[in-house]
Amino acid sequence: MIGVLTAKLRLFIRKPWLFLMVSILSVVFAMLISSVNKQTIVVPVYSALPESEVKEIIRSLEQYNLFSFKRMKKEEVEKLVGEGKAEAGVELKKDDFRIIVASNTPNSYLVQQTVQKVYAKALQSKSIIDQVKEKQGESSAKQVAKSLAEAKNDPVFTVETKHFRADETVIINSKMQSIFGSVLFFVIYTIAYNVFNILMEKRNGIWDRMILSPVKKWEMYTGNLIYSFATGYIQVALIFAVFHFVFDVDFSDKFWFVLVLLIPYVLAIVAISIFIVGIVNNEQQFHAVLPLVSVSMAMLGGAYWPLEIVSSDALLLLSKFVPVTYGMDLLKGAVVYGYSFSDLLYPMSILFLMAVVFMGLGINIMERKRA
Amino acid sequence: MLEAVEITKRFKQTHAVNGVNLFLERGEIIGLLGPNGAGKSTTISIISTLIPPTSGDVRLNNESVIKRPEKLRKILGVVPQEIALYPDLSARENLLFFGKIYRLSGSQLKQKVEEVLEMIGLTDRQHDLVKNFSGGMKRRLNIGAALLHEPELIIMDEPTVGIDPQSRNYILETVKRLNKEKKMTVLYTSHYMEEVEFLCNRIYIMDKGNILAAGTKEEIKNILSAENTIQITVERVNDSFIQALRDHPVVNRVTVQDRVITVLTPKEANAFSILFKIAEETNTMLTSIEIKTPTLEDVFLHLTGRALRN
Repeated sequence: MIGVLTAKLRLFIRKPWLFLMVSILSVVFAMLISSVNKQTIVVPVYSALPESEVKEIIRSLEQYNLFSFKRMKKEEVEKLVGEGKAEAGVELKKDDFRIIVASNTPNSYLVQQTVQKVYAKALQSKSIIDQVKEKQGESSAKQVAKSLAEAKNDPVFTVETKHFRADETVIINSKMQSIFGSVLFFVIYTIAYNVFNILMEKRNGIWDRMILSPVKKWEMYTGNLIYSFATGYIQVALIFAVFHFVFDVDFSDKFWFVLVLLIPYVLAIVAISIFIVGIVNNEQQFHAVLPLVSVSMAMLGGAYWPLEIVSSDALLLLSKFVPVTYGMDLLKGAVVYGYSFSDLLYPMSILFLMAVVFMGLGINIMERKRA
Repeated sequence: MLEAVEITKRFKQTHAVNGVNLFLERGEIIGLLGPNGAGKSTTISIISTLIPPTSGDVRLNNESVIKRPEKLRKILGVVPQEIALYPDLSARENLLFFGKIYRLSGSQLKQKVEEVLEMIGLTDRQHDLVKNFSGGMKRRLNIGAALLHEPELIIMDEPTVGIDPQSRNYILETVKRLNKEKKMTVLYTSHYMEEVEFLCNRIYIMDKGNILAAGTKEEIKNILSAENTIQITVERVNDSFIQALRDHPVVNRVTVQDRVITVLTPKEANAFSILFKIAEETNTMLTSIEIKTPTLEDVFLHLTGRALRN
């Protein structure tokens, strides 16, 4: 078995391209999809106020992370809104604002609320300072203005906001959805192509040479499977590490837990790959079957879009039979929903069961074909 | 030493091997000759315990190896028809891998790898990747990988397919040397009768899953001792000439390949005058006519009515 693993390692070092390509693709796709999902709506604004004051107002407006405000000329704002390219525009004045809309939409109301909130706060501070100025003079007013500014940066109270939700409530975290979905989908290719080498070795006689040697058959299978598992697992772990440590993606302090949860998923994919290699007769069939299986599994299992938004009972029923569903359940369960290890035992057991069944079937089919 | 007793192999409705009997004595080179699809590869896969027979037995020193193949596998080296090597590893790395699976290690493994590289003439190219090798070099390394554990018996399945004459000669000489110097018993399958004639002490001729003839070269050629093989070259193939030959009572068999017509007639018949007479009657212009010493090819033709490489 060590001999088999050493040869595989040598081959990997000589040809790491598939591994690298799939790793890069996973990262790129996850980033692309999550960047599309997090795209904010741009609200055009115009103002007669000086640049510094407008910047200050825009900074306050963007603190809510709901919209992105962009200063333009009045005509441009009116054109964008008029042509329906922007849902709303805003004219920023010293103590007032004006919302420009072509028709009322949920977003236009939200823009209005956001701007209103910022102006209300600003006017509140201004009113306090004005009153102090009127009653206690200029220096006291300056003192109060300074204290107010300091209080903004260093508030007296820390307000902690907590959301409560029922058991059935779903959370859609598009960033984690795209990262988990892409990685769980692409790793199928890395693993399947490594398992596929068994078929190639059988075709070109290397397998026969090994059968005739003192190496036992279980060692041959185990060597190949350990290698396929290790490359798949290392790839997923590496990609998650890139997101976590390089791109600072928040895994809700569950990064190491996520790495443990990957084990049953990778194992199940190795087993399904063996099953596919078992049922196909040649390279062409494998190349035809693999994308069919992997894409179907990704679609049904919620790698492309969250299963939470799927309402078809038939599709939801089918999703119960693919490992991607349980892989996504595990990862989202841990990171997005904050489930504990015991809460995740069910998807883990299903994945282990799939691993045992498909591996058994795959090896059995391969051996029967030989005889 | 090793014998196959009435082995048969059926794949669904196909009878790939039909009651084949075959034996090898220690130190012999045995040839298994037959065209593509004759059942040679299936036969040697059964003999080497890679696939089980549908019926029959394979015995090593009178002990069945079908259920307990370990003893045979220990002394057996197999050179498959395919290039069973890792193309992305070097020649040396391939040999190290195959040595390791035969439980060789350390200095013993290194020494065996050096020896084999020397024997197959690839010492200078040992660090090159196999995918960059010529067909002949790949074939030599394919043989080398089966020699690392010094097998007593080596089975070679068409080891010279698709290579240049120089590499073929090198391989044939290597097989002879292995047999002579290392006393290796060889079972050599081929559809090149000249290779089998050059190498083998005894020959089995196989077609459609059956052994058609067996014996030494001379014994097999004697099958044709009662017949003459006459090769006629004509200017233009004339159907009436061929038909007249086929209809003539002294002509046993007629085969046509391009402008060359091969005719088998009984030794005692006055074949030349008969052939000239038929040619004259059918207005056929003969370019040459000769009586050939029978070859294994002729024997195969006689036994099957087909040429070996058709």
